[in-house]
Amino acid sequence: MDSVDLNSYLAFGYLGWIIAYLITSLSGRAALTAKKTLFWTLVLLFVIHTAAIGLRWAESYWMGIGHAPLSNLYESLVFFAWTILLALLLVWRKFRNDVIVFVGMPIVFIVMASTFLIDSQIRPLIPALQSNWLVAHVFTCFLGYAGFAVSFVAAVLLLIVRSWENPPSFFPKKALLDEIVYRSILVGFPLLSLGIITGAAWADHAWGAYWSWDPKETWSLITWMVYAGFLHARLTRGWSGGKTAILSVIGFAAVMFTYFGVNYLPGLHSYF
Amino acid sequence: MKAKVSRGPEKKETAPQANIITVFFTSVRTTITLLFLLALCAILGTVIPQGEMADVSAGAGHSFVSRIAVILDLNNVYRSWWFTGLLVLLAMNILGCLLKRMPLIISEWKGDQKKRSFFLTLTDSRSPDELKKLFSERLKAIMKCAPKQTNSASGSELSWERQKIYLLGFPLIHIAIIVILIGGLIGVFFGFRGHVQIKVNEKSSTYALLSTGEVKTLPFTIAVDAFTLTRYPTGEPKEFRSDIRLIDQSGHELKGSIRVNHPITFDGISLYQSDYRIVGISKVSISIQSEDGPAETISVNPMEPLITTKGSGMEIKIRGFDPGSSQRGAGIEVVVSAKDGKPSTIRLYENDTAPVKIGGVKLGFKGYEPTYATGLQVGYDPGSRVVWIGSIMLIFGFILTLFTNIQRLNIELIRENDKTRITVSGRSKRMRKEFRESVESTVKDALKTS
Repeated sequence: MDSVDLNSYLAFGYLGWIIAYLITSLSGRAALTAKKTLFWTLVLLFVIHTAAIGLRWAESYWMGIGHAPLSNLYESLVFFAWTILLALLLVWRKFRNDVIVFVGMPIVFIVMASTFLIDSQIRPLIPALQSNWLVAHVFTCFLGYAGFAVSFVAAVLLLIVRSWENPPSFFPKKALLDEIVYRSILVGFPLLSLGIITGAAWADHAWGAYWSWDPKETWSLITWMVYAGFLHARLTRGWSGGKTAILSVIGFAAVMFTYFGVNYLPGLHSYF
Repeated sequence: MKAKVSRGPEKKETAPQANIITVFFTSVRTTITLLFLLALCAILGTVIPQGEMADVSAGAGHSFVSRIAVILDLNNVYRSWWFTGLLVLLAMNILGCLLKRMPLIISEWKGDQKKRSFFLTLTDSRSPDELKKLFSERLKAIMKCAPKQTNSASGSELSWERQKIYLLGFPLIHIAIIVILIGGLIGVFFGFRGHVQIKVNEKSSTYALLSTGEVKTLPFTIAVDAFTLTRYPTGEPKEFRSDIRLIDQSGHELKGSIRVNHPITFDGISLYQSDYRIVGISKVSISIQSEDGPAETISVNPMEPLITTKGSGMEIKIRGFDPGSSQRGAGIEVVVSAKDGKPSTIRLYENDTAPVKIGGVKLGFKGYEPTYATGLQVGYDPGSRVVWIGSIMLIFGFILTLFTNIQRLNIELIRENDKTRITVSGRSKRMRKEFRESVESTVKDALKTS
């Protein structure tokens, strides 16, 4: 079994977990033990996911073209799913709320399922990507993206809860959702900044210009500005609730465009 | 209001105006507006094709739209006067906000600020001295340091302070952004980026500016000794390498190789591997097969123009080379002349399997060794160091803001009759609720013990 098979099983594993969660909740067996089992099952899936990334790393070395598995769209999607799952597990642990994890899991599943559609072969690293900056740059960017993804999920939930007159009791409270929307951006924003800085350092090293206004660079800056706007609106203008939730949704749309949409514009990041 | 009216007429006119400007540059509302405005303008730059002004003006002629496009630099958004202007406004606004908030931060650093986020008043029968000892001991778990003691006529006070360094986070982050923007401006005004293409075994000391195409001279000469392109077994490129010598005016020479991700810096100017081009051929293999004889492959140097075949005594001359852009691959143009016939020109392609028949012989193009020209990027940016300093400040600012937390705690002990009045007040920048709860429970627990 190679890492590609493992990733396929993982996608089904995540789907299975979502269904298991639904069944447990609907059958009213939302007891503490059931929730605990679900949590540890997700931790186990996360460990397998980590192993799959490690295996792919090892496989590239067995092929004689060893490099970190962060070099093309397939590998970045697998890593993206891993970072979102990590963020969701942290939220579960910190805020003791599983509804947000349940709502976030379909994103992890869709990201993993989308890898079925694209070339999964391990390819040698092209000269432009042969740099130690690769791991630092991709790692920080995607961890930041994961924070924004969690904020987005909480923001969508918050907007839904706000539109209901009597939200069901098992739903997270508005104040908690608002806190998660804000806290995850507070973590994601410095990580994105670090991602942009490492990217600029790498670009300076490889191309002689730390900033070239290439579409991906520009869109990451747009994303950065939206979240900087979010933080200032919240911290100094006292925005919260629905207003900041909408900003979080706009920010995540910018993240998605930076990640996928930019590929339709010509630029230097054409390998992702 | 009356006091304002009584001021001189000049002041009456300028004061409100200055006020508007001050408000504009010190308001966070301006910052948020500028951030969203810059984001929108940046989107514009990714939607409108950049750097293609020639097409726009040629196509649309002198229409209104094209004139607007020229005035607004729409083909060059990120270097346009209004985009740079917005960035400068942002830097000024951040500076304004920073200056406005600095006195507060300084007074908080000095401890003059008495702002507290919670108060708690209790009474106890023990003496202030006893309680002092008790609290110093118990609150060590939360504050992780010994308290400062001050005594006054009415009573005494214990004060703790921890991680004051948190206060540096905010100014550091915002100064960092200003420093980065200044670094960017320095680069725009004093730096340059260019490109130079040099054939192997040739030299150059000029480059073309990327922005305008203008040719400029370098303070040194670049001599290219070799260009090597290595591939993976799968055919993908593995490495581009230019072996070069850099010679400055005094004759000092630096030998080295430039690869992608591995530039060389000389005299403050950096050279980067950018691209390559096949500009010629150094050796061509041609297969020749006479009517009765076996096929033979001969390698020729295209510089030696004449090849005479053994059997028929034909002369073959290579006249041109095309690196190949079609399915047929690279091509050569050869002139074939029989012993006493008219010369004829034919084209042979690398990927054609069937040889071309001419004058009794079959010719095929078997391969070639290319001569390369390496494309190097030339860059000089005195602002980049400033940008890196700003980036490091930004990272430190984030670390301080996220991982430290200023916490202040004061306990005032005043003896009243036979009781001691205890006033606990505290302030925590982050995790306010948690701090308050832990302080309150620790203080109450301490008082319960006898």
